[in-house]
Amino acid sequence: MTDTAVTPAELSQDPAQHPKGVPSHATSTGISNEKLAMWVFLGSDCLLFGGLISTYLLLRHRTVAGPTPKEVFDIPFTSVSSFVLLFSSLTMALAVAAIHRGDIRRCRTFLVTTALLGGTFIAGQVYEFTTFVKEDHLGYTTNIFGSAFYTLTGFHGVHVSVGIIMLLSLFVMSIRGRLGPEKAETVEILGLYWHFVDIVWILIFTIVYLIP
Amino acid sequence: MAIVERPTAPLELTTGATTTARPMGGFTRPQSTSGWKSWLTTVDHKRIGVMYGGAAMFFFFIGGVEALFIRLQLAAPEQKLYSADLYNQLFTMHGVTMIFLVVIPLGACFMNYLMPLQIGARDVAFPRLNAFSFWCFLGGGLMLNTSWFLGGGANGGWFAYAPNTGVAFSPGHGMDFYAIGLQITGIASLVGAINLVVTVLNMRAPGMTLMKMPVFTWMGFVTQLLLVFAMPVISVALFLLTFDRLFDANFFKVSQGADPLLWEHLFWIFGHPEVYILILPAFGVVSEIIPVFSRKPIFGYPFMVFSGIAIGFMGWGVWAHHMFASGLGPLSVAAFSMSTMFIAVPTGVKILNWLATMWGGKLRFTTPMLFAIGLVAMFTIGGLSGVTHAVAPADTQQTDTYYIVAHFHYVIFGGALMGFIGGLYFWWPKVFGWLLSDKMGKWHFWTLLVGFNLTFGPMHILGLQGMPRRMHTYAKGYGFDFWNMVATIGAFVIAVSMTIFAANVLLSWRKHRRHPVAVGPDPWDARSLEWMTASPVPAHNYDEVPTVSHLDEFWTRKYGEDATGKVVRLHTSEEVAQKGDATDVHLPSPSYWPLVAALALPIVGYGMIFNLGLAAVGGVLLVAAIYGWAYEPADDPEAHHAHLVHGNGESGDGHGDGDTGDGDGAGSGPEPAAVGAPSGSGESEEEGSSDD
Amino acid sequence: MRTRRRRLAPLALVMPLVLLVSACASHAPQTTLEPKGPIARSIDNLFNGVFLVAVFVFFFVELGVLFLVLKFRQRKDDPDPDALPPQTHGNFRLEITWTIIPAVMLALVGFATLTTLFNINRRDENAMTVRVTGQQWFWEYSYDTNGDGKYTDGDVITANDLVIPAGQDINLDIRSNDVIHSYWIPALNGKKDAVPGHQTPLRINADKPGVYVGQCTEFCGLSHGYMRQRVVAMSQGDFDAWLDNQKKDAEMPSSGDAAAGAKLFATQCSGCHLAKGINDAEFAKQGHGKDFLVSGNAPDLTHFATRGVFAGSIFDLWQDTDHDGVVEADEIGGTLNRGDLEAWLRDPPARKPMDAPALPERGQGKIRGMPDLGLQEEQIDQLVAFLQTLD
Repeated sequence: MTDTAVTPAELSQDPAQHPKGVPSHATSTGISNEKLAMWVFLGSDCLLFGGLISTYLLLRHRTVAGPTPKEVFDIPFTSVSSFVLLFSSLTMALAVAAIHRGDIRRCRTFLVTTALLGGTFIAGQVYEFTTFVKEDHLGYTTNIFGSAFYTLTGFHGVHVSVGIIMLLSLFVMSIRGRLGPEKAETVEILGLYWHFVDIVWILIFTIVYLIP
Repeated sequence: MAIVERPTAPLELTTGATTTARPMGGFTRPQSTSGWKSWLTTVDHKRIGVMYGGAAMFFFFIGGVEALFIRLQLAAPEQKLYSADLYNQLFTMHGVTMIFLVVIPLGACFMNYLMPLQIGARDVAFPRLNAFSFWCFLGGGLMLNTSWFLGGGANGGWFAYAPNTGVAFSPGHGMDFYAIGLQITGIASLVGAINLVVTVLNMRAPGMTLMKMPVFTWMGFVTQLLLVFAMPVISVALFLLTFDRLFDANFFKVSQGADPLLWEHLFWIFGHPEVYILILPAFGVVSEIIPVFSRKPIFGYPFMVFSGIAIGFMGWGVWAHHMFASGLGPLSVAAFSMSTMFIAVPTGVKILNWLATMWGGKLRFTTPMLFAIGLVAMFTIGGLSGVTHAVAPADTQQTDTYYIVAHFHYVIFGGALMGFIGGLYFWWPKVFGWLLSDKMGKWHFWTLLVGFNLTFGPMHILGLQGMPRRMHTYAKGYGFDFWNMVATIGAFVIAVSMTIFAANVLLSWRKHRRHPVAVGPDPWDARSLEWMTASPVPAHNYDEVPTVSHLDEFWTRKYGEDATGKVVRLHTSEEVAQKGDATDVHLPSPSYWPLVAALALPIVGYGMIFNLGLAAVGGVLLVAAIYGWAYEPADDPEAHHAHLVHGNGESGDGHGDGDTGDGDGAGSGPEPAAVGAPSGSGESEEEGSSDD
Repeated sequence: MRTRRRRLAPLALVMPLVLLVSACASHAPQTTLEPKGPIARSIDNLFNGVFLVAVFVFFFVELGVLFLVLKFRQRKDDPDPDALPPQTHGNFRLEITWTIIPAVMLALVGFATLTTLFNINRRDENAMTVRVTGQQWFWEYSYDTNGDGKYTDGDVITANDLVIPAGQDINLDIRSNDVIHSYWIPALNGKKDAVPGHQTPLRINADKPGVYVGQCTEFCGLSHGYMRQRVVAMSQGDFDAWLDNQKKDAEMPSSGDAAAGAKLFATQCSGCHLAKGINDAEFAKQGHGKDFLVSGNAPDLTHFATRGVFAGSIFDLWQDTDHDGVVEADEIGGTLNRGDLEAWLRDPPARKPMDAPALPERGQGKIRGMPDLGLQEEQIDQLVAFLQTLD
């Protein structure tokens, strides 16, 4: 959406012949409002994960009873699911590139691939949590490590799930023919979010799983 | 965030024609722009600002009554008007209400109303999101206060130190309401902050560079950035508390190895920037008032701006001065003591620059000016007692005594509130088109100044005499009796003073109704852009978006230099100001969805406390609202061709998402096939598609 | 005194003056402005210096405001009221100056702060150390009498009155059994929080023998306002005698009301309270207070009668015969303040807000504070008689 400066000439044109998605965005910074808002939101989200990760770091070794990180983690399994999530960043980038080229079909394919990869990651997380609860007897309330671990990874999981929903929404729109090249920026903004969530996972994976 | 397919055959519209009902995805898009219902669906930043102000005043009444109850109990030693538990609820809710539901929203009131005007924008970047912020704040605030009727208010103090707020020590629902209610108002602040940050960065009028923005907008901008980064931290803390209380997590259970200092750090990493969130907008207000009534430009504009930015940055490095007694090592204490001391420097610069602005001026002591000077005088006291806290060894004597209570009331009441009340008097004619009585305003000011100092001045003494905070009563023989009585009398003087304010509003309004006097666009001979449009400000703000070439743009259009270099008036305000009568400016359309989405949040909150089934209902409502929102174009899709633009082609539709929309009169037309890119969650609303 | 204060009331607008005057003008035993020991005095000196600087700045700004208001007001006799004053936009040099001057002033204040800060945080490991434990709503003190560095049951445990020798540094190790409290004796040092899971150090030193009062300053729930503490400083000789006495067990009274009271104490009070030599076995059997109390700890009553106050230091145990508001060491063991003690035993939650509706069954929920035990008047007399013997 343009924010300022829509000239009468522009408005009088048939909108269909005036794809404004390739913007007449006359914002003061030249960045569209939506994209700027996403950047600001992601900046804010950094602090959210910063708080959660700090909490986890402070608490993980303070457990007085029950399973410890060392006892429950299955690093190879989580490495694979982390790789899946990382790979989805690539497909997301390809989706953005495709729509910038105007290749809607490719874009659609990559969008759904990204969603599926994200879904695989979530499924892996669900499987992992189930194992922890059933085999390692690490519930949410079992000990302080459990509470901190599930809260941190849970918040990340919710972020991924929200991303998947948005990806699927764009996918459905594209099937109904409503994702044209003028929507390139929408896909790009979603891409920003998706890459951010991936980067956060790299941090979490390193800090929670890899650093003893 | 929505995408609209254009109707293939646009209908011709007559401006002003209205239709009553058009189905919009099963709902009818709200149409009215007048009547009380229109306030529920409005996306106009000015109306939202006014509602912020009204709601803040409502909560100010509640918080004030709580304060009076507190002072009644403490008027004399060993009084037992209420139980210790009720007293604990009273001071907790007083603090929570005044900080989160009065001063923050009063700041939001001014920032919402003025920042778009001062940068020459038609609205904020995301008008519907703005409405959502307000309803979210109101819902969270009301929910917090309903706790009084649902088992009692929060009783752990506004700072809610763990583990005293755990279920073991606070078994009622009060702290649940605290955690969830503040979470909801936090969402409001965060969403609002993102919105205003984008607005300031992106929607400035042509020529309005950052260093030409009025000081108020600058201070507001810094405040919003602080909110963007501080809110997630308190969110984390509140989530942990909520999970501990409702789901039996272990974050603050010492028996499970928890460390109570985690809460203290999280809370104050948010809590200290929060202090600047409260005070910076008021600094901005005063920086607007003093130049106008000194009839001089602000002294040292760059210093004012950069000291504000410096406060914003340094505010992140001082939080542990709230924890000098908590057993941090002497090295950390030393570091935070030093950083706290030096944050006084930019604050001092501001005070001296205000004084220098007055120097050599021709001061007119209108009510707003009195309040502005009141802020300078009172905040100075708060700032100086603040420096004595920065002296960590002295702070170990002062902290958690009434000396601290005195200090932060001088800062938040004598500082922030004084400034905001001055701002109310200052911008009232701009907002409503009529003036508040100056005579009653002066009564208001002087009674407030006396009452304020009677109430909080003695608390310095009480604190140094060793009276701790948060005691439900105190014993005889400690020397606390006399000054507590004085403070209680002072509190009632404040109550009288605020009654005068209410009477002023009422009587001035009645007078205006009987004998309307047009105040004109510029009753004070002011300097910034918002005075360049009609009073009250028309819905579209500016008939034509001004092109800016100076700081104090409006003033430079009125005044110039004659041949001798003397400053003379070249034009009257009326000649320069816009008439505000343009009828064909495109505006964003009202919407139900922000209200519905915001309503869903307290329902989820109540559900989490009382019944998870209810939470599920709220969740469904929330998701439905978000989808409804996403599928609804930001602007009513009909009539975008009715878009006639006035003047220089700067009609800007001025709002973020969705599509160009209708003029003020809407037309009827076939239902457009509206398809949105639904966003998955509340937090991602700002993610969205752009126009088609 | 009173009239003097009244006359001063209008001066509330000029706070610093009033502060100074009132500080001298009233009887305030908990005041921070009259330090009674070297540590508190160094804080006070620092505060006084900073306060003077603040007073200077205060007058500079407030008088400045007053001056500007008078000097530059729009005058009624202004020949051309519409003419604008000179439009000065700023003065870079001036502004840099008044950025630097406060910074330099604060740097000086900062230097003084750091010096004092590190000075008062020193800790002499050879000094006597007392462990201070906060819980809802009283303070407990443990003395490591056998010098093994641990605080075990064999050591002296007392409550409410912290007895120390005067004229020397005493280390306190402060901890908490439940929520955060804060230990504060203003005349001897600033406050330090008692954080559960942490042990925080504090050092106190009293110039002379005497009683120094204080209060918990971190909000700790219902009876936060009733959580007080006292430091009773004695000469070294008196202290040694006191400590020797504390090391002994209580003696089982042989006859009369006191004996009946001891029996009653063992049956009724052993769930929470210990009086060594009286109910050791019952106390151990009933779980050391851990089964009933959230904090797991109630005051040790072995030498109850050697203390000046009870119930979180809110009631005097002995009569204040010289009416100075404080029960001094020489008044302890004098005339019993029977009224408050009986009233307390009759219905504790009525005297002090606590979350203790009734003694719970074992294994059910836990309480905070002392419940109403439903004692008969006769039983109360017996208990009072017994408690008096715990000296």
